[in-house]
Amino acid sequence: MLVKSTGIYSIMTKAIFVFIASFLLILPFVFNAGDITLSSQLMICAPFLFFLGIPHGAIDNVLFLRGNQIKNREFIGVYLVIIASNIILWMILPSIAYLLFLLLSAYHFGQSQFSHYSDKPSLFYKALYFFWGVSILSGLVYFNIGEIQVLMNQQDEFAALSSLHEESIVLYTFLLATCITFVLLVFLSIKNLLDLEALFMETLVIALVLICFYLMPILIGFTLYFVILHSFKVLREEYLFLNSKKVVNSIGNFVKLVMPFTLLSIGGIALLFGLIYLNILSIPYGYLLLIVISSITLPHVFVMNRFYNLI
Amino acid sequence: MILLDVLTIPKDDAVAFTFFTGYMAMLAASIFFIFERGRVDDKWKLSLLISALITFIAAVHYYYMRDYYLATGENPTSLRYIDWTLTVPLMCVEFYLLTKAAGAKIGLLWKLIIASVWMLVAGYIGEAFNPEGGDTTHSVLWGFLSTIGYIYVLYTAWFGEVAKLAAASNNPVVKRGVRTLAWFVLVGWAIYPIGYMCMPGGWLNTAFGWGSGNVDLFYNIADAINKIGFGLVVYSIAITSSRK
Repeated sequence: MLVKSTGIYSIMTKAIFVFIASFLLILPFVFNAGDITLSSQLMICAPFLFFLGIPHGAIDNVLFLRGNQIKNREFIGVYLVIIASNIILWMILPSIAYLLFLLLSAYHFGQSQFSHYSDKPSLFYKALYFFWGVSILSGLVYFNIGEIQVLMNQQDEFAALSSLHEESIVLYTFLLATCITFVLLVFLSIKNLLDLEALFMETLVIALVLICFYLMPILIGFTLYFVILHSFKVLREEYLFLNSKKVVNSIGNFVKLVMPFTLLSIGGIALLFGLIYLNILSIPYGYLLLIVISSITLPHVFVMNRFYNLI
Repeated sequence: MILLDVLTIPKDDAVAFTFFTGYMAMLAASIFFIFERGRVDDKWKLSLLISALITFIAAVHYYYMRDYYLATGENPTSLRYIDWTLTVPLMCVEFYLLTKAAGAKIGLLWKLIIASVWMLVAGYIGEAFNPEGGDTTHSVLWGFLSTIGYIYVLYTAWFGEVAKLAAASNNPVVKRGVRTLAWFVLVGWAIYPIGYMCMPGGWLNTAFGWGSGNVDLFYNIADAINKIGFGLVVYSIAITSSRK
């Protein structure tokens, strides 16, 4: 595996370091600010999510086309069909679409967190990806259940998803997934598939992520995790991979590569928001954002799964 | 009189208890490091002397802090920070000595000392000049500034000069030792902010009602882990390396 053999990763990745540093520096200010409304959180977090979060999925075509016979046009076509199918699923069965989004995201988050540990991940590693992701996502929901319920009660569209946010269900899911995650971490360590030091680091990381979700308002906590621990790490892996394949030779090149689809995505979201603003589209902003994020996540998860098998 | 004070330690006063055990543990560690100094190679003797100095300086301060706390029931903030101003830079000296063989320059030592002093001075202003009853903005601002110093040391230990020099040292014992010390900075040093946030106006004090008595409890626990633990790691490197 590229990232492992070149020795760029210590047990503490740069993403983990930046996450810890940002968490420690931001936490006192968030506390000092008191209650931050959801719309204020969105205004604070949106630039980070748009300009640092979206880019990590903006070169899916470049990554997928490596070592593949498929043409760029065909890839984009399939990508758009998957997105369209997902939107239709949201219209017909929103709770299923939402559950699918959560489950795939859980696996994807876990996969990116542990990607540098194993060249050929065993079934236990794949289970760890999934349960790690379920643990943090259910933790995010459980620790912010009040804010989520406020959001759910504000708009009718969210009513179909409310059954998935039943407090007891979320709590049991969180406890179960967290316990399984720790059992898997210890198991992999006993089997010498995970270094003991890595076991300590990953225990510390999941604890910090959950503390972050517990202490911070929902969007700020999630943005901190998503942008730094997930997106920053994936971007770094993508850059190193493309650099090794001589597709890019500098950070500037890489930024140019991710820019078109990043701007296109941001422009697309802005256009949809504009349509809502002009009353052409009748759907709440938050609900639309959820559909958009889930729609771009769906194909991205499969591309990244292939990417991790490739490196 | 002092012995009588000791005898009056309330059974349920965890702070007084940890002050006393902290004092004894630091003293015992100092004696241990001084005696063991004779068993290691010459190149490690200075490192063990520094370890002994760290715990001995702390022991003397704990002796006074223990009495101060028993007499007044208040946090001995000034004594605490005088202790740290002496011992934390000495911990940075340990990092420097460990990596010196791999080419560490004196500049590294100064950078670490400046960062640690920055961390301590900001923490001291945040704590000692906290207005009566506590001021969250004051505590947050100086806590933030102090954290910058901590993050610099953390970066140096995990990714910066110290980590690079250890990786280039070709000595697995030093590599393992530096990594262990980096863990101390990451986890052990992170206990101090928990204590800091318990002071009036501090975040844990306001949000969770953790009283200011917890400040010293966390500081005492952190000191025992970091000062004695740090020294034991250095001792372990020295003794393992000397046996080869």
